[in-house]
Amino acid sequence: MKYKKQEIRKGINIHIINTDRFKTNLVAIFLTTPITREEVTYDAVISSVLRRGSKNMQTQEQISKELENMYGAAFDCGIDKTGDNHILRFYLESINDKYLPQNDEKMLKSSCEKLLEIVFNPLTEGQVFKKEYVEQEKENVKRMIEGKIDNKARYAMDRCIEEMYKGKPYGLYKYGYIEDLNNINEQNLYEHYQNLIDSCKIDIFISGPVDENEEQKIQKDIEENENIKELKEREANYIKTAIVDKEVEQEKIITDSMEVTQGKLVLGLDVQLKTEEEKYITSVYNGILGGSATSKLFQEVREKASLAYTASSSFIRHKGNIMINCGIEIKNYEKALDIIRKQLEDMKSGNFTEEDLENSKKGIISVIKGIEDEQDTEITYYFGQELSGDKMEIKKYIETIQKVTKQNVIDIANKISINTIYFLKD
Amino acid sequence: MQVIENLKIKEKLYTEKLENGMTVMIIPKKDTQKKYVIWGTHYGSNDSKFVIPGNKEAIEVPKGVAHFLEHKMFEQENGKNSLDVLTALGVEANAYTTNDHTAYLFECTDKFYEALDELMDYVQHPYFTDENVEKEKGIIGQEIMMYDDYPEWKVYLNTLEAMYHEHPVKLDITGTIETISHIDKEVLYNCYNTFYNPSNMVLVVCGDFEPEEILKEIESRLLDKKSEGEIKRIYPTESEEIVQSAINQNMEVSMPLFTIGIKDKPADEKEKVKKHIAIEILLNLILGRSSELYKELYNEGVIFAQPSLEYEFTSDYAHILITGQATNPEELFDKFKNKISEIMQNGINEDDFNRIKKMIYGGYVKEYNDVAEIARMFLSDSFKGINSFDYIEEIGSVNVEYGKQVLDIVFNDYKMVLSTVKK
Repeated sequence: MKYKKQEIRKGINIHIINTDRFKTNLVAIFLTTPITREEVTYDAVISSVLRRGSKNMQTQEQISKELENMYGAAFDCGIDKTGDNHILRFYLESINDKYLPQNDEKMLKSSCEKLLEIVFNPLTEGQVFKKEYVEQEKENVKRMIEGKIDNKARYAMDRCIEEMYKGKPYGLYKYGYIEDLNNINEQNLYEHYQNLIDSCKIDIFISGPVDENEEQKIQKDIEENENIKELKEREANYIKTAIVDKEVEQEKIITDSMEVTQGKLVLGLDVQLKTEEEKYITSVYNGILGGSATSKLFQEVREKASLAYTASSSFIRHKGNIMINCGIEIKNYEKALDIIRKQLEDMKSGNFTEEDLENSKKGIISVIKGIEDEQDTEITYYFGQELSGDKMEIKKYIETIQKVTKQNVIDIANKISINTIYFLKD
Repeated sequence: MQVIENLKIKEKLYTEKLENGMTVMIIPKKDTQKKYVIWGTHYGSNDSKFVIPGNKEAIEVPKGVAHFLEHKMFEQENGKNSLDVLTALGVEANAYTTNDHTAYLFECTDKFYEALDELMDYVQHPYFTDENVEKEKGIIGQEIMMYDDYPEWKVYLNTLEAMYHEHPVKLDITGTIETISHIDKEVLYNCYNTFYNPSNMVLVVCGDFEPEEILKEIESRLLDKKSEGEIKRIYPTESEEIVQSAINQNMEVSMPLFTIGIKDKPADEKEKVKKHIAIEILLNLILGRSSELYKELYNEGVIFAQPSLEYEFTSDYAHILITGQATNPEELFDKFKNKISEIMQNGINEDDFNRIKKMIYGGYVKEYNDVAEIARMFLSDSFKGINSFDYIEEIGSVNVEYGKQVLDIVFNDYKMVLSTVKK
């Protein structure tokens, strides 16, 4: 595997990952922009409208037919929150020429062209987006916002984050807000799109068996692509996912009621990070607390107390938070909470073994080693580094994890406090 | 060892039937970091009535035993839990139960053989006590309640309820809180001894392995156990008719969920792969992203994303499931039925058919990207008597005439049900 990054114009990067492991080529385009209350809903609708049609493939039907003919090249798009950024993601996955019945179909080249066309050359009517598409996609986004409640565990997690970051960018819901949809029309949405395209950070990833020869060719193809030529130089407007100081806040308790059989308990923790290195220590801490089946939460809440089927924690690296979540019987709220608090205290006082520490490291290292075996994970890994500016080769990453000591973890544990306790019950 | 090579996707399968009747399949993947192993028994939630080899009378056990066993297998006599032991090695271990099989697996980058020791040891050493069986009832009870909150799960189970009169496929894999309350250690040992015999099991590995070497390693970890003969499984006779054409449940969802089920019967041995491919093509022709019907429903605001299109089958049952969200599932269902009769009358457009066929081919190729996906696919197909490569080999022979035949036989109004979950 070889990774190479090239800035083709200010604010616009091509990243090429030369890898032989997959039957597929994966092309991805990421548009990164700060997430704000004013613009969050616009971004979400843009993401939806773009997949409806471009100047040369005007309908979804036409796009689909073209992709089906490319042996089912798969288009996908999504919207994410990373740090204080809103990220519009677009993917096109196609079969590598080697595995096609006829070997003459330049799949990677046409994948790049198709994806660039969808993202940068949308269908317009009279200098604005097609009205019909905008109206339908507003409705679509509305459904997604309303659909928040469908997955109760996810909903509880989102609600907890919303409470932790009230009035701050990271507390915003990535699909936006229903009350904003009324004001969106084909004209202001198109203006918004143009602003976005002119100012956002643009990253184009290409993953597949691209040797040096081909690398040059594909890079040239992209640079000479009509849609790319149209793009301006820019001082990319985005928020580096650097470390920011957190205020230590008073613990909040929030309870919502909804029709659920099982209660969903979520705890949002703050980690007072000072250095990049501490992020690596925190992921080891998280592994011991709730990252796996040997973790404290899984053992104590599920296995010993038999209170839950799920009991785990995850580390939001870009924001310095740990989220604990459990599905429990509603009447067991106090009991579960006591056990969780006890685990957090045990972490602080060093009441965990060297074995726990080693287990956590092994789990993390195994995941890191597997990064190169998954095409989209590998792209996400390099993109995450692109956003944080913290470049680290996989080998170095492993070494850094290996070096973490028990004392390191105890020190981090003492910089961790509960921000919000959220409970979804009936 | 038998070697089967697929030249189109450039992969090889090494397969061996051991003396004790167990099948081992090896799919080497050069240069990948991840290694994956999965060991399955041909025993799932559907198998609750059977004759133990050597016995005359059939026995019937409570629903949910296969899944309960899966949970309990991890517990060891020395007080350790094998899931913990594996996790401590830094490997990602898991297990799952389906209608027709139960599987134990792990994925790792390091310590493969230590982990294989543990996996093969715990699957061959059950340890059930009255106490540990009771404790598990609490955990599984929580799992059942968790699924109760999933509208996707409810809409699926209700579809089966509406299609099947007797067949156990309609029951929840976990059983219910009531049925699992009747499980005790004797029941567990009985089922274990019957179904966890090597002759009823298949082991698949995928990763950077030398086939001969890994085969030896596997053999050396097997206990000396002989095949006890065939296990007779007893399934109720299921009528071809559906139970009811519509079923609804109220839950707090933002938009109605629906599943259209089409009850089918299992194809004969030779045809099952071909039929599966044809059905995948047909479903995409009717309601895929490039279809007329999808466009119409999308433009009318009835659907917002493509429904999932699936064909589920074992050697004992078969059905189509179309699942998604729609503002008006009944309208979608009517239009779906109309579209089918339209195609039945006017014939299938050959260009469309061939284009979708190309797409399906690409989909099969993509399944060979990931060691986990490859191993799981070979395991679950093997319990259906299928070699996964057959999909790549047989797709060429699926033509529009055959597609039309399958359409006429399978897609019948009177075998369709609509299940919905609404507010």
